[in-house]
Amino acid sequence: MNLHIVNRSPASYRVHEQALAAMGPEDRLLLIEDGVQGALPALVRHFEAIPGRLFAQREDLESRGLLGRCDGEVQVVDVEGFVQLTEQAEQTLSWY
Amino acid sequence: MHHDHDTPAGDLLVILRHAPHGSGWLREGLDVALVAAAFGGDVSLLFMGEGVTALVEDQAAGALDQKGTAPTLRMLEMYDIDTLWVEAEALARFGLSADELMLAPRVLQAEDSAELIRRHARVLTF
Amino acid sequence: MRYAILLMGAPYSDQASHSALRFARSVLARGHCLEAVFFYHDGVYNAARLAAPPQDEPHLTDGWVALCEQHDVALQVCIAAALRRGLMDEREAARHGKNGHSVEAPFELTGVGQLVDLSQRCDRLVTFGP
Repeated sequence: MNLHIVNRSPASYRVHEQALAAMGPEDRLLLIEDGVQGALPALVRHFEAIPGRLFAQREDLESRGLLGRCDGEVQVVDVEGFVQLTEQAEQTLSWY
Repeated sequence: MHHDHDTPAGDLLVILRHAPHGSGWLREGLDVALVAAAFGGDVSLLFMGEGVTALVEDQAAGALDQKGTAPTLRMLEMYDIDTLWVEAEALARFGLSADELMLAPRVLQAEDSAELIRRHARVLTF
Repeated sequence: MRYAILLMGAPYSDQASHSALRFARSVLARGHCLEAVFFYHDGVYNAARLAAPPQDEPHLTDGWVALCEQHDVALQVCIAAALRRGLMDEREAARHGKNGHSVEAPFELTGVGQLVDLSQRCDRLVTFGP
């Protein structure tokens, strides 16, 4: 299982499509920085192919005022949770 | 783990997602691939998205005679980097076909991307 | 576990450096070994000795230095990426006939080979791009 990290918003970039194309059936995807915009209900459809495997970083949601607006499908993790995701993954791939 | 797939296992896969001349990403990604190969690693390249345009023939020097990346790409064979992949979807998006590109890359279908990555111990994205 | 970080975003231009430093501290807090941070592409600007951000902003260069001093994290800067961008230590400045240098210890100028080595030796290599 690999962890894919996306820091770009799906509203402006296609970087998330590259990550999704590279994902195996068990792989997970973590949204950080502007990538957390993808956790909004209006944008989360971009990640409908990976139910239960989408994560977003709490601190980046919080700083943008988006934590309360996060879609229920998204698993929110803090930076320690980010490190834990990297522990559990065989390797990490960053898409920026 | 199955080995009947035609994607060879390797040490390092370098994913290149940027076009030549517009930024330094392609050059800096290729530098990592060349150094890893010089260290004796088994290195493969995957050209994704805009990265496929790195393989277009007839490239020339850029602004102020910036040499671009085509000369570096032509040296890959000397470094024993001979497994080059291009994303089928990226080819379609740019209206290119693999047989008109330099260095005879192999075409990677979308459904095989994850498997190619899984078969490499290390993957770096540029 | 042994970790390494590859940082390729310029400080203050992108969030990458802040994200990487926050992640680095959390890696150490969880008891892992962070072997090195490798600065590449515009990430090399994190090593700028003369960086002087406003006092109410986090000082990223000092943040990296603290990691090195307190946890023995190596701060490795790609020399080719650095020289192109005007970042050099005293030795390189002398070699290139420049009066003044912009990088100093504990940041060390090194080759891309170090990155390849880290990727082989460490259990996890996490990239932060712009």
